[in-house]
Amino acid sequence: MTTQIQTEEVLTASNRRQNLFSGFKFPKTFLGLLPILSFAGIFLVWPLSAIFRASLHDNHNHITFAVYRELFTGIYREAFITSFKLAFLSALIAGFCGAAVSAALVRTSGTFRSLISSASGVLANTGGVPLAFMFIAAYGQDGLITKFLLWLHWDIYAGSFDIFNFWGILFVYGFFQIPLMVIIFTPAMENMKKEWAEANDSLGGSHFQYLRYVAIPTLIPAFLSATLLLFASSFSAYATARAMTIGNLPLVPLVIGTLVDGNVIPSEANLGDALAMGMVAVSVVVIAAYLALLRFSKRRS
Amino acid sequence: MRKLSKFNIFTLIFAAFFFIAPLLGAFGYALRGVNGAGHSLVNFRWIFQQQGFYTNLGVSLRLAAVTALLVMVLMVPTVVFLHLGGKRWRRLIEFVCLVPIVVPVVSLAIGAQISMPKWLQSTPYELCFFYVIVSMPYVYRAVDIGLQSISLSTLVEASQSLGASGLTTLRLVIVPAIRSAVTGALFISIALSLGEYALASLLHFNTFPTWVTNVSQENILGSIALSVSTLIGAWVVLLLIVFLPKIRSLRKVSVNV
Amino acid sequence: MRKQFVFGVVAAIAVAILPTVSAQTASADTNWATCGDITACGGMDALVAEAQKEGALNLTTILRNWADYGDALDSFKAAFGINIADDNPNGSSAYEINLIKTAPAATQPDVVDIGASHIVDTADSTGVSIFAPYKVQTWNDIPATWKDSTGLWFGNYSGQIVIGYNAKDKVAPKSFKDLLNPAFKHSVGIAGDPTGAQESLMTVLAASVANGGSLDNVTPGVNYFHKLKLAGNLSSAPATAASVVSGQTKAWTDWSFNAPGVAAQAAKAGTTLKYVFPSDAAVTGTPYIFGINKNAPHPASARLWVEFMMSEKKGLLAKDLDGQDPYNLQQGTEKGSTLFNSLMGGQNIFRLGGAAPILGSVMASHKLLVPAPNVILGTSGATAVPTIAQQLAAVAVLKTAWPKI
Repeated sequence: MTTQIQTEEVLTASNRRQNLFSGFKFPKTFLGLLPILSFAGIFLVWPLSAIFRASLHDNHNHITFAVYRELFTGIYREAFITSFKLAFLSALIAGFCGAAVSAALVRTSGTFRSLISSASGVLANTGGVPLAFMFIAAYGQDGLITKFLLWLHWDIYAGSFDIFNFWGILFVYGFFQIPLMVIIFTPAMENMKKEWAEANDSLGGSHFQYLRYVAIPTLIPAFLSATLLLFASSFSAYATARAMTIGNLPLVPLVIGTLVDGNVIPSEANLGDALAMGMVAVSVVVIAAYLALLRFSKRRS
Repeated sequence: MRKLSKFNIFTLIFAAFFFIAPLLGAFGYALRGVNGAGHSLVNFRWIFQQQGFYTNLGVSLRLAAVTALLVMVLMVPTVVFLHLGGKRWRRLIEFVCLVPIVVPVVSLAIGAQISMPKWLQSTPYELCFFYVIVSMPYVYRAVDIGLQSISLSTLVEASQSLGASGLTTLRLVIVPAIRSAVTGALFISIALSLGEYALASLLHFNTFPTWVTNVSQENILGSIALSVSTLIGAWVVLLLIVFLPKIRSLRKVSVNV
Repeated sequence: MRKQFVFGVVAAIAVAILPTVSAQTASADTNWATCGDITACGGMDALVAEAQKEGALNLTTILRNWADYGDALDSFKAAFGINIADDNPNGSSAYEINLIKTAPAATQPDVVDIGASHIVDTADSTGVSIFAPYKVQTWNDIPATWKDSTGLWFGNYSGQIVIGYNAKDKVAPKSFKDLLNPAFKHSVGIAGDPTGAQESLMTVLAASVANGGSLDNVTPGVNYFHKLKLAGNLSSAPATAASVVSGQTKAWTDWSFNAPGVAAQAAKAGTTLKYVFPSDAAVTGTPYIFGINKNAPHPASARLWVEFMMSEKKGLLAKDLDGQDPYNLQQGTEKGSTLFNSLMGGQNIFRLGGAAPILGSVMASHKLLVPAPNVILGTSGATAVPTIAQQLAAVAVLKTAWPKI
């Protein structure tokens, strides 16, 4: 029955839309997009094209595509793979954790909620050296939680625990990924109307059925688009990864850093620029996959 | 509003542990006294005594204000427009808005250095434009999800049939309807402007975060206190944005009565 | 007699006019952006006067605790009254060169201090350099390997790799071998990525020397760190002053010229640090390099700065000038050169910071060196310095080998 109502809404809405926009001619659409396109054109596309042009010039100012071939070999390939793994896992884990926090948040009242959502805004922007230090202060050898766990007779440093290995970094990334998820996903959670849950109850459906047939299908598009963002965010995280590694984890932003903003390797800035373009290429592939997933999920519901 | 289930409470407690532990750990160091002994607020007092605190804080606050303004004026109408009539363009704009997040800040800075005109590179307000770019993915997504969850065309039609212009509709009908999404978007962009370090330092500007790093060179405990204070300070700024309008509207009500 | 009288008058007038004429010639002719040594710039007095007229100096990526730059900045400012702007103290060598190549004119640095491996990036494919050639007064004392024959760039100081540790550690490490001790489980740190940070690169090379390798072969060093990791001793947290104070890092390697500064910093936070020259490896890094920006916004200040930093004199520091005002050049009571000669030269200031000044051996033979700080235990002895080629060869290996440890 819910689907019937939805179809009706869609039908009449699309009719209305046609009436609304019968006046919209092509120039007006273009005018509507002009601000964002020109803004992005100047401050995003222009610098990116400059980087692209720089990546093609080697040290003798000849045009060459040779650097792009290097991206698929050796350490650069490894860096892309490791970055992808880290980003994928971070997006998934933070996605579910953040969604769980959102679900709890929508059931709290105004003041508490404002406190938490504004805190999320701040936490979502933490990173770099301060964040790394905060985790050392909590989970380091003299850390707060370490000492607490020791009091519970659990010595996490008994074995070869290393605070900043792959999983440690994943853990730390959660600190800014989960709040980001909370900020972006909560509006979608807010629109899970109480009436739907009540309708489900009155029809005798279980909580599990509510989740499976109502809640999850409605939330999937928003969830996917939010986790896509989380993926991109951890894929390109630079300052935080830099403050937590000594080169033991090959990540693309870190490699770019050693090439264009380093103290050791000269004359390979064009390779760094090519790596940056490689990251954009990866994002195109991931966005395409996300769009396909989106269409698939909409068809199923 | 539904009651908090057991799962909800468990989630919130777990989250509290996860987020508070590192903050508390750093706070413990920040509270250390002179020569690391005992406890005192000496490290926090040190911050305000440093030369350039108010100047650089002012710069970052101004950057945050301009960024917030640009975000509101540029992003909100665009996403609304995309939902109303520009459906065909949605995927393209979505892609454009997502690309900034994948470009490492280091590369964006270098791209900016070799492409932006010199007169633009001489003012710190250049950063505002890039802060909008960097926060664009989050802002777009937040507003997009917010708009998905309301029946936008119904609202617009109702408002227009009552005689409201496009701008009035936007201001008085749409934005309040997606208030939490817009607030979230503003939170992200303002917190970003106040705390962003990489782009500001690579583009050689003096903002509050770069000043913090400069001035903390020789004082470890002071720099820890400073980073904790910056977090708390940013939080206070955001809370003001949430609660100030409410306080103002409360006063209006009492005056009318 | 009349002839003698006329001759006398003419001579007197000539003597009276000549200084002004020559002074005018100096200030009219001196192109501060291109004068190539102190004589071409009209002498130290003229240089100081012009620098003071400029009133400012743009520097970049200078950390106060690094080779005691803090004292150098303070002395220069207190003595000459020139305001120094230090942009992005934590910046990299690549950043500095990029700054010269792309920044707007007023923001450009006057002088940069870069790593030796980045010299190649300072000249474009046609050989045009971003630097202006300038030969300091002490030019001839600079080793030929570390200066450009035309004066475009020259070395200033270098540092030896030392081991630092917390005074509270149960074991006091004296060598790389000691770092394998189980007492250092989870606690041995290095500054960062060897392919990104010069001191980490030198650390791996030093570890290589300590383990049967050489400056040509960095693989034993990589194997050493692999062993360190397997033993559970190597921490992937970069060793910083904060990680040391927090107790996460109990032993680490660093440049000798960071030791005094970091030790002082940590003492203020309540942690006592000790440093020692490793007994199994004596490796000094390639020197850092000065270059004057061709388009320096303050060319005279730039030249005065490098003269100051390459000066071998013993003398006064900023804290010795504190409160006194005998050097009031505005009143014209003191000559710039007298002031300059009374100051402690940059080379000695580097030494105070624990660095090995590039003019060190010459200064030692003339008994001009001040005593080194006593922060580092043990003796330095003869050290090996890699060439830039050896450095780059090591980096090529580390790019693929390091992430595998």
